[in-house]
Amino acid sequence: MEFPTEVIGEKGYIRVTGDLDSEVAGEALRSAFNEIYEQGTRTIVLDLSGVQIINSYGIGKVLSCYQQLKAQRGVLMVKPLEGFVKETFELLMLDKLLPIDK
Amino acid sequence: MIFTQPSMLVADSDEARCAALLSLCADRGWGCTVVSDSIEFQRLVEAGVFDLVIADAEMPGFDYKTLLGQACRRKPSQLLAVVADSAAGEPEVRMLRGNETDIINRPIDLTWVERCMEQATISRRQEKREQLAYSFVVSERTEMRFTCRQLGEAQAISLPIVARLVAVSRLTETDALKIRLAVQEALLNAFEHGNLELDSRWREERVGDIDKFSSVRKERLKDPHYANRMVSVVSCFNGEAVEITVKDQGKGFSPDQLSCARSNDLSCFGRGLTLINNAVDEVRFSCGGTEVTLVKRLPANRSS
Repeated sequence: MEFPTEVIGEKGYIRVTGDLDSEVAGEALRSAFNEIYEQGTRTIVLDLSGVQIINSYGIGKVLSCYQQLKAQRGVLMVKPLEGFVKETFELLMLDKLLPIDK
Repeated sequence: MIFTQPSMLVADSDEARCAALLSLCADRGWGCTVVSDSIEFQRLVEAGVFDLVIADAEMPGFDYKTLLGQACRRKPSQLLAVVADSAAGEPEVRMLRGNETDIINRPIDLTWVERCMEQATISRRQEKREQLAYSFVVSERTEMRFTCRQLGEAQAISLPIVARLVAVSRLTETDALKIRLAVQEALLNAFEHGNLELDSRWREERVGDIDKFSSVRKERLKDPHYANRMVSVVSCFNGEAVEITVKDQGKGFSPDQLSCARSNDLSCFGRGLTLINNAVDEVRFSCGGTEVTLVKRLPANRSS
């Protein structure tokens, strides 16, 4: 499993396809993140529009990316969320932590 | 029950092949949607409205095995076919759905596609009959048992009861997602914390290149003492609610030790119980913490 990545200007984008609820998906996110991070990009945007479910494992992976960027004064952002993923982010107050990339 | 036109989803960037399939569908009274982008394909598959999905194995940027795997999980009854130069990938693709996936060799033979359409039509009729019968079911119970080794290899566990209740509109799609999430979390707890006796705090300790949690998890999955422990999942439908009980063979715990995630907690673990509590109407722990029951009431019974 691989997630498509793209760097446009100062921002790197990761398009998460499928659900973020397994070790395989978590590793795919980490791998996509590292690919952009190692290019020196410190503003990374997650596009979760294709995700139906994110579980505690997926959230752990997202927060690990957040912490790594924060330590380098970077920012982890998300594209506008919807559906059950939005509800999950609001429940865990991740919507306060990760700014929206409009 | 509404009977709609059968429909096909085609993921292919070859214009001539797409035109031939569109024409075939029009002749047979089928709907046909063509996409050449994996994100759009995934979005449509998630809608779960297609009877037959045909994907070109060679389409650039298209991980067809993963995407067809998701299609299987989303709607197990739909037929899948892969257009390939040879049957080289056949064993892996067939594994996706229990030997029912077709490989259509290039150049595409429309007779073969017609055969897939006939199969899909039969499968659709059978599904409708089963759905009609399920509208009258007042109770059902199923039990699944897994060893830790099997769970470690499984991508996802789907509950047939939930899928059937959604198909007859007795549960909403969102409720089904919530049940899926709650069961995943309960299974993870039973498997990793119950049977493998792993401590979440180890996720933040390093052992060489990986965290201690992953390192010990890997070791214990090789140790028969842990790896052969069972997790059982019992799903019950009683006409008013779905109850799923997950039981492990670990040492258990006191529910007093449990805590929900705090809003300012940035650690990479500890959110499972919060997610479960949000997803279902009732959570009960029993058997010294080795068993958890998740209750999701059907919409009509939710206020009681």
